[in-house]
Amino acid sequence: MSATLAGTRWVRADLRARKGQAVLTVLAVAGIVAALITAATLLEDGTNPWRGLFAETDGAHVWLYTDGSPQAALGAIDGVTATAGPYRSVPVTVAQDGRKEPAALRAMPATPPAVAHPVVAEGRWLDPAQPDGVVVERSFASALALRVGAPFTIIALSGERHTLYVRGIADTADQGFYPEWTPGLAYVLPPMLDRIEPGRSEWVTGLRLADPDASQVVSQRVVVMLEDELQRVYTWREVRAAMELDNRLLGTMLALFGVVGLVAAALALANAAGGRVLGQLRDLATLKSMGFTRGQVALLLLVEHGALGLLGVALGALAGWGVMAAVLGATSVAPAPVLLIVAGTAVVVLAAVGLPAWRGSRTPPIPAAPAVPPRGHLSRLARLALLVRLPPALVLGTRDAFTRRTPAFLTAFGLAVPMMMITIGLGVWATLDNFLSHPEQVGQHASLYVRPAKLEPAAAERIAGQDKDVAEIYPGADVNALAPGEARSVRVRAIGASTKPYPFPVVEGRMYGRPGEAVAGQGLLDLLGLRIGDRVRLTVGGSPLIVRIVGRTVEPDLDGEVLSVGLDSLAAKDSVPPEFYALALKPGADPAEVRGRLLADSAEGLDVQAVVNPADRLAIIRVVIVALIAVLALIGLANLLTASALGLRDHAFDLAVLKAMGLTPRQVMATLVTGTGLLVVLGVGAGAAVGASVVKGLIDLQGDTSGVGAGIGRAPSPLTLAVAVVVAVGTALAVALIPARRAARAQVPVTSR
Amino acid sequence: MTPVLKTVRLVKIYQDGAVPVPAVRGVDLQVEPGEFVAIMGPSGSGKSTLVHMLGGLDTRTSGEIWLDDHRVDTLSESAWALLRRKKIGFVFQFFNLVANMTVGDNVELPALLAGASPKVARERRESLLGALNLGERADAAPAQLSGGEQQRVALARALANQPSVLLADEPTGNLDSRNTRDVLRLLGDVHKEGQTIVMVTHDARVASLADRVVSLFDGEIADDGRIARRRTGTVGEVIDLR
Repeated sequence: MSATLAGTRWVRADLRARKGQAVLTVLAVAGIVAALITAATLLEDGTNPWRGLFAETDGAHVWLYTDGSPQAALGAIDGVTATAGPYRSVPVTVAQDGRKEPAALRAMPATPPAVAHPVVAEGRWLDPAQPDGVVVERSFASALALRVGAPFTIIALSGERHTLYVRGIADTADQGFYPEWTPGLAYVLPPMLDRIEPGRSEWVTGLRLADPDASQVVSQRVVVMLEDELQRVYTWREVRAAMELDNRLLGTMLALFGVVGLVAAALALANAAGGRVLGQLRDLATLKSMGFTRGQVALLLLVEHGALGLLGVALGALAGWGVMAAVLGATSVAPAPVLLIVAGTAVVVLAAVGLPAWRGSRTPPIPAAPAVPPRGHLSRLARLALLVRLPPALVLGTRDAFTRRTPAFLTAFGLAVPMMMITIGLGVWATLDNFLSHPEQVGQHASLYVRPAKLEPAAAERIAGQDKDVAEIYPGADVNALAPGEARSVRVRAIGASTKPYPFPVVEGRMYGRPGEAVAGQGLLDLLGLRIGDRVRLTVGGSPLIVRIVGRTVEPDLDGEVLSVGLDSLAAKDSVPPEFYALALKPGADPAEVRGRLLADSAEGLDVQAVVNPADRLAIIRVVIVALIAVLALIGLANLLTASALGLRDHAFDLAVLKAMGLTPRQVMATLVTGTGLLVVLGVGAGAAVGASVVKGLIDLQGDTSGVGAGIGRAPSPLTLAVAVVVAVGTALAVALIPARRAARAQVPVTSR
Repeated sequence: MTPVLKTVRLVKIYQDGAVPVPAVRGVDLQVEPGEFVAIMGPSGSGKSTLVHMLGGLDTRTSGEIWLDDHRVDTLSESAWALLRRKKIGFVFQFFNLVANMTVGDNVELPALLAGASPKVARERRESLLGALNLGERADAAPAQLSGGEQQRVALARALANQPSVLLADEPTGNLDSRNTRDVLRLLGDVHKEGQTIVMVTHDARVASLADRVVSLFDGEIADDGRIARRRTGTVGEVIDLR
């Protein structure tokens, strides 16, 4: 108790004496925490939109389809808190721009229900004053390129056409996104639905549960209760899975950056606390001579520096949460990752200040001996430098840089870690760029896929072949095959002939050269436990497909669980006629332009789809990279300021002596800047070198585990790397220059310490 | 009467390098209550080491230290710290005020540490600083004070808990003659009020203020004698002899 009072006084006085440094420490930690939370939330939101949508729409956990309006008391099932519907639903076909898409028209009242109410993103909700209005689910609307006010033509089961008008576009968590989840969803008012389809329909009911984990049990109850009435039932898990992007790459990236960012932050904090403690050894000794015990001194330091870190964690969490809540809405921030980040950083912060605190507490209680930097000696390198008549400021600075070995190491290391991460970030950036500039390296040699929707396959091939920008046409078919021993099917993609194969990016083994040979993605090899050279027997629609795997491709689709063969390896029933044609375009051709031309030439009889580059799906990574680079730079800066402050403290006395010896202020400044700058160059150089050497391997490792397969990683270009290093070193030197300039100009009296 | 402080064959050997360096070699010393002992000797004679060991700042290699009839050389570092709070006051050559804290806080710190309430600590600080003519400087930073003033603050801090013994390590070593005189006068005053003082100095004129001068040479007591002099003499006169 008594020590608490006395300790509080000391901590307060110390913090007052170094406000600037304390604020920087708090900001650095807060920045990291805020960035981590922001990144985690952005990724979570970008890769798993279900959670946000579900919260926004007060979604239902279980959805069930019945022939008639369900007669059982579904709301009375244990754990069900509310029900949505039952709503009448009618299958229709939407005719839009010559395409016909399956849709479910659902009758919803004009006042949205409390549970599972679609949230209108554009336009307005259904209004009885406009009975021909329809509200279209957003992903369905964007797939059909529908805007508010556009006509919405549907063909009922009877073949009758009705034209409705889009009044609104809404988000919902009732089902997954179109076209992964079909049919598409649109809402109309009940009277309209009765007019369109008076007869055949099904009923949809949503159940909101108290405990989401009970959805399995509840759906089993539903199955038992409704028996034959029930057509199908699905839970929120299926919806979420359908909405989820493959976020393993993102998740791993974030985890890597987060963990290393934390390590860097911990280093910065340990460095700052360590530097401060080193500067305070004499005061600490005085405290001990007054009767502070070793433990109390350690606690004092731990509390002081730890409190700064924890304050930073709290501020960062608040800021990150606040920004995300303001931008994406209060429900968008997932509590679990935020808590994890806060707890993780708090632990790291305390661990980081623990060591300096412990070291400070070990100070002998004799304050008479002020902390003197250990005597540096002129190394062989320095002697050599003097011998070749390098400027003395450079030599002295070099010597100063290594006077204190541990802080020198910590400074260089503290800069190397952020720099390494920045390099890795740039490498990821370069990899994404490479995806974009060389799509053929990720299996996207063809940039358009043409399906003969209304035309004969031969006509489709002819039209595609006539286009001036089409370089090559590969007929192809996608079939699902049952894998041996797996209760699931895998995708078999057949394109081109075995003798004239589609140029898959084969990174291991070789390309298939005759029927009966295949190449596979890493995901498939892992799934079936295969190796190159193995023979595998699959079943395609009842007929066996036996192929020998002769190579591994980079496979960005379906987690790499794809087997690629020549079309002639498939049985004729699956390959004739071809399901689609993959079009490789001539260099420089614009896929959108070609697509437009093909549609026009075929009078919209073709279904032409442009491939989506994986880099486009991963665009959010770039935002994350920029944000993390900013935070890493902040960490580096904090390290640098500590180093420079420590250097000045150690050399304040020497400065006067140096001046007395006849060094000009400019030389003194150069000495100081060299002292810090050398460590900067070492740290940044080492960081960039290590980063550049591991980045390819890391991305490939990530590719390997995510099924894409190794072979995608790219190091940042030498130019980018050089620019990054120069910018880092330049900024660091500029930052080091300010205190050095001030110190060089200050009048330092030569007095005893 | 039991001595306040007693050492029995106290030895300190530094083991820093390959060769052990003996600093204190078997010192037997007794300090009676209210006594003012000056420890003199050339530099390297072990006087600072001795006084550091007496205050538990340094560990002894062998021998015994008794404080207020309790053996203390066997205490742990923490136990020594607790002991220092109440029984030992330290004054150092370089004042060693905590630079970030105000003069007032520096003086209040030991009182707070010893368990006094903030109110009591404040009252004690006010009376101490008042007695040392530093009442108005309580809110100043130590760096704003002259060396003599800093040392007076250090003295106030050392006396804050009315310690059994005041250990002073070259308290005037870093002061000019005028400030030396002021500080010595204060030491004389507190001694007159019954404070036991052990002071290390290499200055014979400073030592002459004490009741008893112990001369150390190469870590051993070379001479231990009481100073016979008129009790009417003041410190000022002694110093003015310069």
